[in-house]
Amino acid sequence: MTTIAGSWMKAADAPLSATTTTVDPQAETLRLFEEHGTALFRFCRSVLRHSGDSEDVVQETFLKLLHHLRHDGDRRNLKSWLFTVAANACRDRTRWRLRWLPWNAERDDRTVDPIDPAGEVRLKPDTTERARTAFRALAPRDRLLLSLRAQGLSYKDIAVASGIREQSVGRLLARALDRWRKKCVA
Amino acid sequence: MRCLTDVEVQAVVDGEASEAHRAHAEICEECRARVSERRSQMEEIASLLDADGMPTRVETRLRYAISEAAGQSGSTEMVRGSTVLRTKRPSSWRSLGVVSALATAAVVALFVYGVMPRLGAPMTLSASEVLSRSLQTITSGSGVEMLEYEVALDGMANSPVVIRQMIDRDNPNRYRVASYHADGTIASAISQDPLTQRRTQLFHVDGTNYIVRVNGIHSPVLSLPQMAQALVETSIGIMQAKSDQQLTVEDGPNGRRYIIDIPPVTPKNPAATLDIFGARAVISGTDFRIQEFEATGSLLKQPFSVSLKLRMQEYLGGTTPSFDIVPAPGDVVLEGEASDDPLSELMTTVLRELGRARGK
Repeated sequence: MTTIAGSWMKAADAPLSATTTTVDPQAETLRLFEEHGTALFRFCRSVLRHSGDSEDVVQETFLKLLHHLRHDGDRRNLKSWLFTVAANACRDRTRWRLRWLPWNAERDDRTVDPIDPAGEVRLKPDTTERARTAFRALAPRDRLLLSLRAQGLSYKDIAVASGIREQSVGRLLARALDRWRKKCVA
Repeated sequence: MRCLTDVEVQAVVDGEASEAHRAHAEICEECRARVSERRSQMEEIASLLDADGMPTRVETRLRYAISEAAGQSGSTEMVRGSTVLRTKRPSSWRSLGVVSALATAAVVALFVYGVMPRLGAPMTLSASEVLSRSLQTITSGSGVEMLEYEVALDGMANSPVVIRQMIDRDNPNRYRVASYHADGTIASAISQDPLTQRRTQLFHVDGTNYIVRVNGIHSPVLSLPQMAQALVETSIGIMQAKSDQQLTVEDGPNGRRYIIDIPPVTPKNPAATLDIFGARAVISGTDFRIQEFEATGSLLKQPFSVSLKLRMQEYLGGTTPSFDIVPAPGDVVLEGEASDDPLSELMTTVLRELGRARGK
């Protein structure tokens, strides 16, 4: 099961404002899905590299949000809360996946090589494709940090979501970006 | 002021830098260029991720899951609309019935949550029901079934392996099981067919397949698929009896899945034969077949950890396929005599062949 660590997520001493208590959790969840759902999916997609798993994690995350709101959880910075829960779920899925055999291209008949309209010559990967391939080839932590930053999270929120000290986030982000750039030109 | 380090430049790009660093990046041409370069790289990464659009079905799934969750939590929201049936105000005599029903429900709840846990019976009936349906699926079935699954077992060399299994459900002693390494090479295989009275075993040694084939088997012994199935059935039975089952329902692109977790515990005195300390089963909502199964526990007082993942399952129609292991060119085939003990007949055949090779 996904662990939702951090006592900050439900601050018992944090008084809820009058407005937050009157909002319907279900409507609030759907509103937050409208607002952050796509960003969260992109984040999960970049970390997990699997669309189906990403959809599952997004659904799981928003259901946890619904539960969180129903039980009067802390409503401060719910964006950060969502990304933290999603990051934990992605980590669980990745760990679970390691139990299984790696995907084997030769055994997958769905694989289709990029071909030109004539159907003969293989296309060379363009710059965007190279950048995308380089990003996918990054270590999971690098992908996690860059994805969180790309979705607009602050260093503080990234630190909470990734379980890294806030002071280290900038340094690790800079290194991750350097590694991505090197892979792009390699 | 000195020029900024890469980390400080990154902080400027991310809007997390101090005032002094930001000011320096404004006035220093070199640092400004570095900030600009990093910013464009970050924007490139963001645009790469933006290309991944979210499928519209995610919202549909979520709305459905939320409505389900609302139903489970006993939401009392009124359904609005002109076509909604209005509830009738209960008459006074009916209120007596309601009180009686409530009293009955209270007694049942007291029994389920108060008495049954003390007896060790399952609390989460829905999880238990799912497991029960799954057990029925495992034990029922007719015809020749093909299965392919991955097995990861702690302590097993070259784990995980892929197992391909073919079994005649109407005659469980008729089967063929083969295991494959991750690269697709065969590791071992065994087949038994009472109809042709033949038992065959294959071993892959130093790049060569050695096939030991015995004819004229009198009474088939040991059905490996049945033994494996019995182990899974027992584990599911133990899971059913646990009181701390956690059921999660997941609606995905391939339909509904039930995920049943038994949180890990550290038992002080495990059962002598089989005990489960923690388990997880993913069961298809369509046919209640186990898609993934993971368990840790003790078997004959020895700790074990096993994971199974179903890759393919189908019942073969039409002509009955051969259960024999057909040798390929280059395979070494040894013919032997049947006995009631597959291990001794294997050893006898191999040693006899070895003796012949040495001229004895």
